[in-house]
Amino acid sequence: MVKLSKMMMKNIEGIGKTLSEILVCPLTKQPLRYCEKTGSLISDEIGVSFPVVDGIPCLVPKDGKILEDEGSSISGGLASSSDTKEVKE
Amino acid sequence: MRALNSILRRNSSSILIRAITKHSRSSFCTDNVDGLSNSRVKIFDRDLKRKQRDRAAWLARLDDSFISSVADNLLDRLEDCKKSFPTALCLGGSLKATRHLLRGQGGVEKLIMMDTSIDMVKSCKDAEKDMPDQNVETSFFVGDEEFLPVKESSLDLVISCLGLHWTNDLPGAMIQSRLALKPDGLFLAAILGGETLKELRIACTVAQMEREGGISPRLSPLAQVRDAGNLLTRAGFNLPGVDVDEYTVKYENALQLIEHLRAMGETNALVQRNNILKRETALATAAVYQSMFGAEDGTIPATFQVIFMTGWKEHPSQPKAKSRGSATVSFQDLQKQFGSEN
Repeated sequence: MVKLSKMMMKNIEGIGKTLSEILVCPLTKQPLRYCEKTGSLISDEIGVSFPVVDGIPCLVPKDGKILEDEGSSISGGLASSSDTKEVKE
Repeated sequence: MRALNSILRRNSSSILIRAITKHSRSSFCTDNVDGLSNSRVKIFDRDLKRKQRDRAAWLARLDDSFISSVADNLLDRLEDCKKSFPTALCLGGSLKATRHLLRGQGGVEKLIMMDTSIDMVKSCKDAEKDMPDQNVETSFFVGDEEFLPVKESSLDLVISCLGLHWTNDLPGAMIQSRLALKPDGLFLAAILGGETLKELRIACTVAQMEREGGISPRLSPLAQVRDAGNLLTRAGFNLPGVDVDEYTVKYENALQLIEHLRAMGETNALVQRNNILKRETALATAAVYQSMFGAEDGTIPATFQVIFMTGWKEHPSQPKAKSRGSATVSFQDLQKQFGSEN
């Protein structure tokens, strides 16, 4: 219970309820995911993370960082099919 | 655990991902180095504007009478609406003044403030506790008007006070605002119009011709009044309304005018600007300004033309023009209907 309330606090400290309801990725207009570990907002579709500075999300495209190898689901069907091949081998 | 697995597996196909990220990098970058989206005209240097707004965050005063009267005039329009606007987004421009003067107009409960400059947003956030109206729940984020990161149909009101004239793609920014609005939502914007700083435009041209034998763009091109209506219609707003106000601000000298422009973050941000301004030319401009436009009491006037735009997102309750040929009474019969009273 304590953990949960702490998480809630963190989320509110993170970006706040109002913002988490209305903010989307500036480029794809798809929902953003709040990453607690890095404290950033992640747009999964294009694999870009936007920083949150002092509780202010920075959603200018230039502020975004491309997630190189992890946490991006950009590699959709093609990549996963090649993955499975390699796993089989 | 499953997620971790997929991350590990993805490492093997990192080349593919890299190829895709390379592509996406070029598409999300606002700087068109590779010319992928050449069709987009780039007039303003948005990065420079961001820096100028960072500076303006430190220089701005809350008692700026020009900004205050424009913001007041803009917010006054909310009084004319019977509707209330619980969720409002305030786009860049004079955020602090808008927040300060929003005294319960329009029934705003949640105010979201956005700017391209983080320093501007931070200074607004810091000033929050001194604001008169504490009933409004405020939130802040940094965003670009050209890439509005707001969910569709989530806002009742979008206000922009003196910010949108620095966007490269004004119709695009307005279309994005419209998409972010709920049906019957209101778009309310004040932008600087073409007559703005006409005195400075003339003084710069005359001084540059005299000292350097040629001219370079010192002032940005601004929208004309007739464009504003077209912009609203093009962006798909219903019941468009445009009106113009001219403000004349008096300064002691031209240098003070420039200081004021800096404090507002309204200095030159053209891509094709000349980076060098010779001291001699600058002083000549000030002198030309003084001699051509100076008043008898030694002050100099500067004109600011502000275009106010209002537009509504479509909703069935709004009045609509009837389709052609649906009339049942001829115009010729109007005389019979109403003319007899005269």
